Amino acid sequence: MKKLLGIALGILTAIGGFVDIGDLVTNAVVGSRFGMGLTWVVLVGVVGICLFAQMSGRVAAVSGRATFEIIRERLGPRAGLANLAASFLINLMTLTAEIGGVALALQLATSVEPMLWMPVAAFGVWIVIWRAKFSLLENVTGLLGLTLIVFAVAVFLLGPDWSQLIGQALHPTVSQGEHTVTYWYYAVALFGAAMTPYEVFFFSSGAIEEKWTVKSLAQSRVNVLVGFPLGGFLSLAIAACATIVLLPQSIAVTSLSQVVLPVVQAGGKIALAFVIVGILAATFGAALETTLSSGYTLSQYFGWSWGKFRRPAQAARFHVSMIICLLIGLGVLATGVDPVLITEISVVFSAIALPLTYLPILIVANDPEYMGEHVNGRLTNALGMVYLVIILVAAIAAIPLMIITGAGA
Amino acid sequence: MSDLTPPPRSAGRVLDAQLHLLDRTVLDRTGVPVTTVDALEITDIEVDTPIEPGTPAPVITALLSGPVLGTRIFGGRPPRSRLERIPWSDITDVGIVIKLGVDGDSLDLTWVERWMRDKIISRIPGGRHDPE
Repeated sequence: MKKLLGIALGILTAIGGFVDIGDLVTNAVVGSRFGMGLTWVVLVGVVGICLFAQMSGRVAAVSGRATFEIIRERLGPRAGLANLAASFLINLMTLTAEIGGVALALQLATSVEPMLWMPVAAFGVWIVIWRAKFSLLENVTGLLGLTLIVFAVAVFLLGPDWSQLIGQALHPTVSQGEHTVTYWYYAVALFGAAMTPYEVFFFSSGAIEEKWTVKSLAQSRVNVLVGFPLGGFLSLAIAACATIVLLPQSIAVTSLSQVVLPVVQAGGKIALAFVIVGILAATFGAALETTLSSGYTLSQYFGWSWGKFRRPAQAARFHVSMIICLLIGLGVLATGVDPVLITEISVVFSAIALPLTYLPILIVANDPEYMGEHVNGRLTNALGMVYLVIILVAAIAAIPLMIITGAGA
Repeated sequence: MSDLTPPPRSAGRVLDAQLHLLDRTVLDRTGVPVTTVDALEITDIEVDTPIEPGTPAPVITALLSGPVLGTRIFGGRPPRSRLERIPWSDITDVGIVIKLGVDGDSLDLTWVERWMRDKIISRIPGGRHDPE
């Protein structure tokens, strides 16, 4: 019974933890501009994150090595440092966006300026990382994030033309007034949002935080293979809401209030309450994950002592670096830059960093010295290779598409 | 070419410095990460003098860390006094991590960690407590 509860908890946290500010904003933007025409990208992204999250979790559980230690070992110090610089900067950008997201969610709830909420949000993130146990912070944010299911409920309450929605998803076309290049730009952005590298850093380091062993593999596989696809389903529900309400009235998504507008229209105040709790939990959870990830990547590259299972005093540089990252994020937000804009840019840059992260994982998952009998099977390797090609194409295309479309304008 | 004798068979495990040592994480006696192997120090070979036959091959004397990482990436070499060493005799095991038989705190190269612990982290309330 206890084991069953553990599995249920794992799945639920995976669902709630999948969606972050990047998914919220990008899916709503895409829905309001292209309808369900980019559903296939979310599906491709979900399969990809399942594949590589599971692989990095398996490497961590079997060998006890987290992803960035492996990246340094396999790519050497120079390519490793380039990778660290790229991943770290993108992670910092995502962290900034998530803290902005927490502030925006609090603004929805209280009508107090987000600028005033930002320091509170950053302090909240720090105090949780400083004091709370790893499992606690993961479970609470994951479970509260589940209230985002209200997006799926809203789709039903809005009573859409299902055949039209499904038709858009199955026969993607570029909607009128939009350019094909813009379509592909958002395809890359959506892909980057689904496969954000920090998820893999966090997942593999989390496996070590929670002291996974080979025995934990079966449960982690269930968590990933059930939880992430259901999280992807939430992403699609967000897009569907935007498709039903925002697309016909050609409302552009420029802030969180447009993201939640369809939910409010469908379910009124109660739905709004749920969606605010959900967004708050999702962005706060992701802010925790990105802050920890920035500490993880630095510590693992340089070989510092890290981990929340240690007292802060036993992982001093790890904690100091996270404090500095939070302060930098706060400083960027203090300039008054729009968090939604940072989010949109960060998901595209995520797409650029993807190959750097995922190639070393694939290599080490095939190394018997680390993995023993748990090396990748043929099917996993075949899928991994296919995804490496997709990731590479997305990464190369990202910058040119961004320039041509003026960041999707 | 044919008059070269094959290298003598060495007893024990053959380690490839690039593959098994460089860029591996180093753990101390209690399993706490100390550093990553940034470079290796080997016994001196006289520059510009021909090597006598029968001279023993150079051996690794220490794992290096610190500023040497920068020079490994961008070229050059830091002065000898700037090298932060872990003597080879401290090493107890070389596997997918390198294990030491000493406490990390007793090594000079962990001074930044100790400094940040004593001057910053320990002074923030809760810094010495287990997470709850």
